[in-house]
Amino acid sequence: MAVDMQELVEDSVLLQCRVNETPCEEFIHPTTSLLDFLRENLLLTGTHMGCMTGHCGACTVMVDGSIVKSCITLAASVQRKKISTIEGLGEKESLHPVQAAFCEESGFQCAYCAPGMLLSTVELLNETPDPSDAEIRSALSGNLCRCTGYQSIVRAVRTAAKLYTADKETQE
Amino acid sequence: MNLRMQYARPRKLDQATELLDALGTGAMVIAGGQELMPYLNYGRISPSIFMDISGLAELEGIEETAQGISIGALTVHRQIQINPVINSALPLLSFAAAQIGGGRQVHNRGTIGGNIVAMHALYDIAPALIALRAQIEVAGNQGLRTVPLTELLVETDHDLGTKTLLTRIVIPAMDPASGWAYEKLKITEGSYGSANAAAIVLRKPDGDLQVDLVVGAVAEQPVDLTGPLSERLRDNPDTDLDEQIDAVCQAVITDPISDQRGHAEYRKAMACVVAKRAVAAAIKKIKTS
Amino acid sequence: MTKQYVGNSTSTLDHAAFVSGRSTYTADHIFPNQLHAHFVRSTHAAAKIKRVDLSGAERVSGVVLAMDGMQAAEHLDPIPHFVDPIVFGGKTTNLRCLALGQVSYFGEPVAVVVAKDKKTALYAASRVNVEYEPTQAVLDASDAIDSNAPRVVPEWADNMLMQVPFGGGDCAAAFEAADHIVKTKLKVHRQSVQPIETRSYNAVWDHRESAITLYATAQNPHPLRYVLTNALRMPENKMRIVTSASGGAFGLKMHGHPEEALICLLAKLTKQAVKWIENREECLLTGGREQEHEVDFAINADGRILGIRDHFLANVGAPGGTPGWGMAFLTGLSMPGPYDVADLDVLANIVVTNKAPWSSCRGYGKEVTALALELGIDKAARELNMDPVQLRYKNFIKSDAFPKKSATGLIYDSGDYQGVMEKTLQLIDYDGFRDQQDALREEGTYAGIGVAYELTPEGGALPGTLVAGYDTSTVKVDPSGFVTVLTGVTDPGGGNRTGIGQIVADELGVEFEKIRVVQGDTQSCPYGFGNYSGRSTIVGGGSAALAAQDIKLKIITLAAVMMEVPEETIEIAGGIISTSADAGSQMSFVEVCYAAYTRNYDIAACIEPPLESTRTFKPGLISHTPDEEGKINPYPSYSNAAYAVVCEVDIETGKVSLKKFAVVHDCGKTINPILVEGQACGAVAFGIGGMLGEEILVDESGRQLTTDLVDYTMPRAADVPPIALGHHDTPNPITFMGLKGAGEAGVGGSAAAVVNAVNDALKCLNVEVLELPVSAPIVWKAIQAASLGSTETES
Repeated sequence: MAVDMQELVEDSVLLQCRVNETPCEEFIHPTTSLLDFLRENLLLTGTHMGCMTGHCGACTVMVDGSIVKSCITLAASVQRKKISTIEGLGEKESLHPVQAAFCEESGFQCAYCAPGMLLSTVELLNETPDPSDAEIRSALSGNLCRCTGYQSIVRAVRTAAKLYTADKETQE
Repeated sequence: MNLRMQYARPRKLDQATELLDALGTGAMVIAGGQELMPYLNYGRISPSIFMDISGLAELEGIEETAQGISIGALTVHRQIQINPVINSALPLLSFAAAQIGGGRQVHNRGTIGGNIVAMHALYDIAPALIALRAQIEVAGNQGLRTVPLTELLVETDHDLGTKTLLTRIVIPAMDPASGWAYEKLKITEGSYGSANAAAIVLRKPDGDLQVDLVVGAVAEQPVDLTGPLSERLRDNPDTDLDEQIDAVCQAVITDPISDQRGHAEYRKAMACVVAKRAVAAAIKKIKTS
Repeated sequence: MTKQYVGNSTSTLDHAAFVSGRSTYTADHIFPNQLHAHFVRSTHAAAKIKRVDLSGAERVSGVVLAMDGMQAAEHLDPIPHFVDPIVFGGKTTNLRCLALGQVSYFGEPVAVVVAKDKKTALYAASRVNVEYEPTQAVLDASDAIDSNAPRVVPEWADNMLMQVPFGGGDCAAAFEAADHIVKTKLKVHRQSVQPIETRSYNAVWDHRESAITLYATAQNPHPLRYVLTNALRMPENKMRIVTSASGGAFGLKMHGHPEEALICLLAKLTKQAVKWIENREECLLTGGREQEHEVDFAINADGRILGIRDHFLANVGAPGGTPGWGMAFLTGLSMPGPYDVADLDVLANIVVTNKAPWSSCRGYGKEVTALALELGIDKAARELNMDPVQLRYKNFIKSDAFPKKSATGLIYDSGDYQGVMEKTLQLIDYDGFRDQQDALREEGTYAGIGVAYELTPEGGALPGTLVAGYDTSTVKVDPSGFVTVLTGVTDPGGGNRTGIGQIVADELGVEFEKIRVVQGDTQSCPYGFGNYSGRSTIVGGGSAALAAQDIKLKIITLAAVMMEVPEETIEIAGGIISTSADAGSQMSFVEVCYAAYTRNYDIAACIEPPLESTRTFKPGLISHTPDEEGKINPYPSYSNAAYAVVCEVDIETGKVSLKKFAVVHDCGKTINPILVEGQACGAVAFGIGGMLGEEILVDESGRQLTTDLVDYTMPRAADVPPIALGHHDTPNPITFMGLKGAGEAGVGGSAAAVVNAVNDALKCLNVEVLELPVSAPIVWKAIQAASLGSTETES
């Protein structure tokens, strides 16, 4: 056989990646989802489990700056990539403008969907700084919320767009 | 199911195909994971080895070739939506990729290869690809071969993703004079389509219309109405186009699906509706220069 | 007293934690050597269990324990019902955590495996071999009441869980006398609340104390503790239940689910922490709302409704421990809603079948009352060629008629139903739409407008059960002036924690930021009944206000001594104590608090430390003493709202698009407008989702077909139109500050408005959809049937 099976095939995988700027290195089961890796190996429980089928969006995280659903992302496949979770977005004393906007507009109730909603908003505003309501509603189509009826979330995204633009201008 | 599962991440295509060949049954190929992970999470699949092909450079990139646009199987839906080459040469494909459900997260992660290999009756890409006359490039232990996508779809138990690998999709550029449309009917934002249709319409020099029309989500596989429709158009040149599409749908869709998206009778009727709407919208888009 | 916080849209308490992933939900508790449980569930809707072979699972490395129903029954007594139907004259049954001898619904837990990790437990569960002998399943309520139907509970004489009449007056005479009789046959489909956070239980066994701490997604921690310690045969004070932040509940997390006691037992047997997180497929087994109504109106020529008759069937699934079945009872009790109809004949036929047991759903049966009444009224308006709004105005209870005793014995506190409806119509521009409707039709747009009203009794109390009308809070002020509020009520995510915090901040005159509200921990919180029936702000806020007032009195007494001024001159606001006796003199709240604890042998001798008080708020109007007709009033508060929606129907596909939505809500006094509006919009999305996309389907053998969230399509952002909101508050005279409760109203009213709008849009085609949902395939079929019908008539 031309292929060295031993070399290619592993029972467990050594995953090396950066999570919220911190390097990490862990042996994981080959089928572990990125969600379980974050929650159970790294105890980053801000990323939530809602369905494990990729429909609810509560588990949304960013991989190399793009949002993905961590429940249907194989942890082993984010080798050497940069992962950002809600914990990395901002803390109480230094809220990200998107977080501040969701607080101001009560863009959540139980907040179980909030990590996903926030990260989806960050990606939307990175690409579309001044989205229309239709663009906002479409950008959130991968995220379910059962509490708000989305009205306060759409309002929060609109406010976030204003704060985000202002924030960027200050930085420049 | 199996608890002891192994993992392989080959770095070269030939390594990957040789490994698949050596492993025999029980191997499963994973790329973006959007199709397989739900099954894995619920314990419904249990390959003995998971082969992660996300490191294969040969399966990446979008290139213009003599045969058409060659799209690597690992290309994600989002790239297909925004890539300038695809936008200009294959606007129908860009549009259809944007209609895929699951939100931006899935668009960022799901690959065109995975979408095709899944052969899911309700997915969006296949009807567009068939209308575009896409060819697929398959790597196995016998080397590379190129086959029309439709050929794959007639094989009910293809070995893509278990014994062979889908490497690239090659699609002839669309005629800039053609009009195109993709119509998808969804009950709500979060549901699969109850019916979808891809249409490409070209006005031939003699003034007649050449219509490529494929409907999806109504049968186990996308239904290519192009041949039957062109026959009807040839045989009954004076009949209303909508009536012809209706008649072709009625004749060709013999085994509609029945599921939570609607019962069989509804699905067949909706196939007619989206087919007519797609053709009408495509005709409107024909460039008259 | 100046209100600094109440009435304002104060931000949610701890909002920064919620948006930065730092709040703790139940599944976020992860303990050392954490074990995981996985259930083996029935693959049949009805079957005898011949044999359960656990050996395959037990052989898997990493498995700690595997158990079937026989073994579970040795350790666990039947689970007490949340509300036993027998209390209301129905039938009872022993509820087991794992099936014993037979299964009566698809997905019923049959065995459980505990292992060192989730994957091992999942794998090992697939190695459990269960041998079934399938029997005939009965799935429809109308089939189940047939005398030859198979029995869901073999020991019962029939499948009728309970048959209960509601009403009063002389309905037969009303129907005799009426000019018109309008009959409406209505079918409501099975739906499910599906919070994004599924249920989760994590039990930790303390071997030294022989005690259990259970981290649970539970709306009612104290009553749950009663249930679990009874089933586990252990002293009630040996269990602590902790409910963390809740990822939505909507009734699902009221107890009686079989997994609760079982996870505790597994922790006890393994002497370790055992965790179970419900997966979405399991969560989708829960459901409710499935009812069939035949509602008849007796109406006079002038539009006055003389009598209403509604004999209905509720398919509550197999018997279960949660209070799910009680929703059907409430559907009957809540008739005739906001209408002044004394002659009422309602018969609730509550039927068991081989579907999964009902669990509580937001609306708690009152949403089906609204659907039956509001769809019926619109049908009457269509048949009698009357305006549906005018027909409602003719029959609403007038605003000067309160308190008003309903035909079923409820005593409505207050309301101005016509006023609420009028405001709603202004918000949606009802007349403007009517002016355009015909023109739109000529352009080929089938647009319709629908209105509906919903009255939701809230804050319910049931005699002889742990469903109480009162609740208790403790307020503690530290020497440093920080405030802790401990409540017996819990917050499922709607924001009552924040509302209660606002109330206490205002009562004490301190900054909102100094308040911490602790809920859901049976070890630290006073005994309370948790969250249900829109009660938490009414009784949690009311009791916390009483406790805060006690403390404020002590602080005033002490401050007066310290400042050497009369007590009545003291004012406290924003953490500053001032006196009208001396404009320049003031003290900080903190100084006085510190003195209260440290100067008790000199200047603070005038008060009794500590600065703590526990008080109970017990709303009036609830009466458990039957009146002369044997009726009781279990509710103190009747919030209500009107809904209006404009829709367009694509008649080629049946697809309904909602264009405009308006709601006006009467929830008494509003503590926090932004949170109350959030509740109202959330309820509207429930109503919309239930009518347009959400439906739980089973196949003919009873196997569930709806298994994920792409089958069960809850509304996404693009499905919900912008919602215009208005308030029209009539304070409840008997609750604290006039609160009525917010949250439960909206599901039925918005659902009914959507259906009425669809039927309004399709009226010109003679199409009427009363079998729900009004999803595209169903609407399309109705349009087809009507057009075929009209073709036949023509030919």
